[in-house]
Amino acid sequence: MIAFIRQHQIWMTSVFCLLVSLYILSAASTGRLQADPFGPLLLSSMRPLQRGLQSIVVTVRGIKDRYRALNQVRMENQSLKGRIMEVEARIEELLEAEATSSRLRELLDLKDRVPGRSVTAAVIGNSASTWFRSLTINKGDKDGVRSGMAVISSMGIVGQIVAVASRSAKVLLITDHSSGVDVISQRSRARGIVSGSLDNGTVMRYVKRGEDIEEGDRLITSGLDGIFPKGLLVGTVGKVRKEIYGHFLHVPVTLAFNPSRIEEVIVASASVDSLDH
Amino acid sequence: MKLFLLFLCSGFLLILLQTTLFHLLPLGPIVPDLTLVLCVYWALYRPTVSAALGSFILGYSLDVFSSPLLGVNTFAMSMVFFTAYLSSRYIWAHFFPNLLLGAAVVFIASWVKVGALVVVWSLFMPTKGLWAGAVKYVFLEALFAAVLAPGLFFLLERAQSHLEKGGKHFVAHAPADI
Repeated sequence: MIAFIRQHQIWMTSVFCLLVSLYILSAASTGRLQADPFGPLLLSSMRPLQRGLQSIVVTVRGIKDRYRALNQVRMENQSLKGRIMEVEARIEELLEAEATSSRLRELLDLKDRVPGRSVTAAVIGNSASTWFRSLTINKGDKDGVRSGMAVISSMGIVGQIVAVASRSAKVLLITDHSSGVDVISQRSRARGIVSGSLDNGTVMRYVKRGEDIEEGDRLITSGLDGIFPKGLLVGTVGKVRKEIYGHFLHVPVTLAFNPSRIEEVIVASASVDSLDH
Repeated sequence: MKLFLLFLCSGFLLILLQTTLFHLLPLGPIVPDLTLVLCVYWALYRPTVSAALGSFILGYSLDVFSSPLLGVNTFAMSMVFFTAYLSSRYIWAHFFPNLLLGAAVVFIASWVKVGALVVVWSLFMPTKGLWAGAVKYVFLEALFAAVLAPGLFFLLERAQSHLEKGGKHFVAHAPADI
């Protein structure tokens, strides 16, 4: 008998434990187990450790919560930065629109002052070559643009039409070395031809050595070339240099604006009168 | 006896961890049941009378800490020990003495435990939706317990070796006297 018990002591203990647990269950569920003798003792003895570990849990949870909140703030920050960028872009757009509107108003004003037929056009392309200075505009033959017409803006002259397609045209800029505009000094009425050059920038050519021309003189179109209306600002005279030899002075010209940066232009008919400038 | 006390203390430590730090794990409502792993370890590799009583005590402690009805976990843990012990004796423990097998037993034991819990709960305190809840969480709980089992087995084996000062390697199913 004892040998049998020894041999099967483990599973017998297990079964005993199962039966005891069922008894506890039954007693607990029916309310017969009024006082649990070991539970409070166990809880009390574990309490300090449990409190210590729980404080770690609370701390870690706090860190996690703060990290989450920080992440949220970071995301919100990113979102707000995005919105600021959008608003700034919108402001830029509005400023650009305002600048365009201002330019167009000036152009409209100029168009009213330009006698004869004129067409407003937008620049759609720049020169594709280093050696030539030209623009392409979005108006052409069908819009009444013809070769040889003057291209001007509210700030001064731009160049002239050299080639026309049905819906576009090529403008040779005043800064190109093959262009030429008949100009006079507003102060002394000294006359010359302004044209671009590859080496020296824009210059006023064919000014005789004896002509009265000084640095800072404003140069305006003479209207004598039959292309540009008279009185349009071309630029100002730079430092005049007298060469040792030759009949003419070297007169550098600072243009009133950079024509390759222009965005809207007026194409004016060749048959023009003088402008009030 | 020293070994039994060591394992019992480990069990209390595991209960402490289960009631505190394990709630930090991102597992939702599931808490890895390491006390179950300990019971399976006892049943597989240290099946003694004190181990059977230890399972009972651990179950009882679990009831004290977390169950509204005393005896539910006591019964379930005793059942886990009993079934794991019987299985280990009659089926495979002699042939596959390794940690992975232990993990597989833990996985199955987890289902046994949940089954036992649900059955006694249904008998003594019938609750609506108990089966559905059990089905919802049993797989993941069993999986987590099985994943953690080899690590815990290893630690228990090391602790046991240190205590015995023999430094012996893992020996499956080596019954020790009380």
